[in-house]
Amino acid sequence: MIAHSIFFYFFSIIAIISAIMVTASKNTVHSVFFLILDFISISCLFIMIGAEFLGMIMLIVYVGAVAVLFLFVVMMLNVAQQQNQWFLSETSSGHIPVGLIISFIIFFELIIVIGGWKYKPDFINPTNISLENNISNTHSLGQVLYTDYIHIFQISGMILLIAMIGAIVLTYRQREGVKKQSYVKQISRERSEGVEVLEVASNKGVKIDD
Amino acid sequence: MEISIIALPLIASIISGFFGRLIGDRNSEVITSLLVTISAILSALVLYKVIFNQYQDNIIIATWISSGTLDVNWSMKIDSLSAIMLVVVTSVSSLVHIYSIGYMSHDPHKPRFMAYLSLFTFAMLMLVTSDNFIQLFFGWEGVGLCSYFLIGFWFKKDSANTAAIKAFVVNRVGDFGFALGIFLIFYLFGTVNYSEVFELIPTIIDKNLIFLGIEVNALDLVCLLLFVGAMGKSAQILLHTWLPDAMEGPTPVSALIHAATMVTAGVFLVVRCSPIYEYSELALNVITIVGMSTAFFAATVALVQTDIKKIIAYSTCSQLGYMFFATGVGAYNVAMFHLFTHAFFKALLFLGSGSVIHAFKDEQNINSMGGVWKKLPYTYCLMIIGTLALTGFPFFSGFYSKDAIIEFAYLRGNTTGYYAAGIGIVTAFLTSIYSWRLIFKTFHGEYNNKNIKIEETHESPLVMLIPLILLSVGAIFAGFTFKELFIGYGGTSNFWQDSIFFLEPLSTKHPPLWFLFLTPVLVISSIPIAYYFFVKNKNLPHQIANVNKPLYNFLLNKWYFDELYDVLIVNPSKKLGLFLWKFFDIKLIDGFGPDGISALIKKFSIKANKFQSGYIYQYAFVMLLGFSALLTFLIVK
Amino acid sequence: MIEIGLGHYLTLGAVIFTIGVIGIFLNRKNIIVILMSIELILLAVNINLVSFSIYLNDLSGQVFTLFILTVAAAEAAIGLAIIVVYYRNSGTIRVEEIDKLKG
Repeated sequence: MIAHSIFFYFFSIIAIISAIMVTASKNTVHSVFFLILDFISISCLFIMIGAEFLGMIMLIVYVGAVAVLFLFVVMMLNVAQQQNQWFLSETSSGHIPVGLIISFIIFFELIIVIGGWKYKPDFINPTNISLENNISNTHSLGQVLYTDYIHIFQISGMILLIAMIGAIVLTYRQREGVKKQSYVKQISRERSEGVEVLEVASNKGVKIDD
Repeated sequence: MEISIIALPLIASIISGFFGRLIGDRNSEVITSLLVTISAILSALVLYKVIFNQYQDNIIIATWISSGTLDVNWSMKIDSLSAIMLVVVTSVSSLVHIYSIGYMSHDPHKPRFMAYLSLFTFAMLMLVTSDNFIQLFFGWEGVGLCSYFLIGFWFKKDSANTAAIKAFVVNRVGDFGFALGIFLIFYLFGTVNYSEVFELIPTIIDKNLIFLGIEVNALDLVCLLLFVGAMGKSAQILLHTWLPDAMEGPTPVSALIHAATMVTAGVFLVVRCSPIYEYSELALNVITIVGMSTAFFAATVALVQTDIKKIIAYSTCSQLGYMFFATGVGAYNVAMFHLFTHAFFKALLFLGSGSVIHAFKDEQNINSMGGVWKKLPYTYCLMIIGTLALTGFPFFSGFYSKDAIIEFAYLRGNTTGYYAAGIGIVTAFLTSIYSWRLIFKTFHGEYNNKNIKIEETHESPLVMLIPLILLSVGAIFAGFTFKELFIGYGGTSNFWQDSIFFLEPLSTKHPPLWFLFLTPVLVISSIPIAYYFFVKNKNLPHQIANVNKPLYNFLLNKWYFDELYDVLIVNPSKKLGLFLWKFFDIKLIDGFGPDGISALIKKFSIKANKFQSGYIYQYAFVMLLGFSALLTFLIVK
Repeated sequence: MIEIGLGHYLTLGAVIFTIGVIGIFLNRKNIIVILMSIELILLAVNINLVSFSIYLNDLSGQVFTLFILTVAAAEAAIGLAIIVVYYRNSGTIRVEEIDKLKG
């Protein structure tokens, strides 16, 4: 138990600090790195708690894809260097204290909900899926996912497809002046467009217009 | 036939008022004068029938209001009282119309003037021929309105406009009391028709009401309220301030309205309501006191005035006081008799003074006149006739009526009666002093006018003199001829029949012989006294004035009534109006109303505009605020 | 405090959620930080779901976390694509200069 709590505190402190640094660092690339650190620590937490499949998936998907995507965009758009502090700017910084207060209010309310739940443990109605300690997490997830939740699984696949199409559609642009091949035009070419018979006088060439 | 008496002036007014420009000045003058004269002849016929055939009628022309228990008709009630008034109003009005053809010959707005005169005649006729209080009030307001039009006829003059407004507003104060009286009559009796009200009077003699927290007798209250209206219309003391200023209007207007007709409407009201007044001792005493105070006050002020029309105006005020105090002692028929004779000689005096003003090219100050009795012979003679009638010189008309009033006051027997008789005699003396002062200063002595030479003053044209001559006939003979009819003793004349109500018959005794001779002696002896003061020894009045400077100023400034009202009523009202406008209207009502709402909307829009800044993080922030509010709400619930 | 219960994990989730929320409107740098804060929020939700799943012996929490993961990835991709296109059109992704929605 002691180890459990030491590890828990360790990972959670790292997670919290890196979350703060995501918003607070001056350099955007540093923000992305802190985000990565955040993801890693949370996935370690997941592995520790017993949901190892989810932790691994988080590592692969979040860190390996989403955060790298962030990094790509940051690098591409060249916004790495920001000179001004984040709490001094021209636009109104008057709502910083108000914002902090509102956030604390939300935090406390979340805590209240948790506290209220703790003293009423008969509040929940679990579904009929329970953990079994014999099979691994991956195995048990697989058993549920492709049978009971198959529809949602397919739909999430659709979402990914749409996202991919959407990203391409948004960022696609035509380039001017690029030569392309259109095989449809090539195949449908008629003789009348392609060949022209000229009268050429002897000793004089043909002018080809380019 | 009777209906045409009141319809003809209305038609004349409409034709001249709306089509005057179409038909031309001369035509509108002729049409109006003609129609009103026909009306006068018809009224004389009606009076003849009333005197000799005891003709009485109540012709209902149309129904006006019929609502619940309130039934009011447009009607013409012909009885002795209204017949007399018809003759007075229409004859003086027709003579004034003819006179105005000459007097207003230089004025560019003749059709408008004629239209207003005819409209006034119509309203006055409606007033005297009504058979209920509502039509009376309609006529009352109508004459007030026409007097506003006529006083302010030369509307380009500032003083004329203010005088017209003053007349209307002071009349309004009286009308307010009058309206309250009519409401009270309806409340007490459930009807406003004369005949029904007069029948019901004896049944509520002892009824008491609570008025403004004080318990008063209902009949006393009704009489007093009606009298407040009469005070306003007839320029009795306290509500008299409009009459001298009303001289801003042209002289024919003063003759018609302020001598013969409108100001006598108050007297007519009191006499018409004699059934009510006879039951109220308190009201009768109040009327007597007000009447005699007015008579005395006006006579003292007239002694020192310098404007010829103002002197005659105060004289009217004083004579009206006489009429009221005649009604106050119960002698309604004598009051009507004095009204009848007064109409003639006062109109004569006004129109005569108009002739003088016309001769002096619109000069009205008697200090700038004098010495023209040879140049204006007709005017001079006619003015002398009028003055003799006014002062009560024996055997002229005023003698019979005025002396009858003083006799009846004496015969009343109570202290109010004796006191009133004494004041009446003193006022008669003052009356003749100021009247002769007017004559001597205007026609005798040296010629004092700085602006025009004496050769340029000329007699008035015939069209102005004929009405004067006709009026002078009335002034001389009306008293003697109609004496028996109006105030006949015993059973020799039953002229009044039901139109005037006497609770106890008037006494038929005569006062002691010395009393009978007192007034005429005073009046006759005042002529040489006045001659001495104003022609022979001109400096004496000035010396007396200098010695008694405060008294002189007090009289010259009309007993400071205007200044008193300024301080008490006019200035506070103006300040209140200014305050209400500045504070309530502008700040409160506009502030909360249109201006305030529009400014508020603008402010809110500007604030709301800031929400759409375009910055995404602000939008996210607002979403966060909403989310936290929702969360708090759910948790707290 | 030593005994780690469900409440600790939930508190951790709440803290990271709050930090993500603060990050959305308190940053002055650029839009990408906002997207990263959104990822943090989703992460906090994931922590909640997984911890509930483990402590209540119920597998449906982890299943749902999988789907959230999927959606988060898709949304991050689309969001970044939008940012790229916007940068192409207006040349900046600094938060103060993006006010095209100003009314």
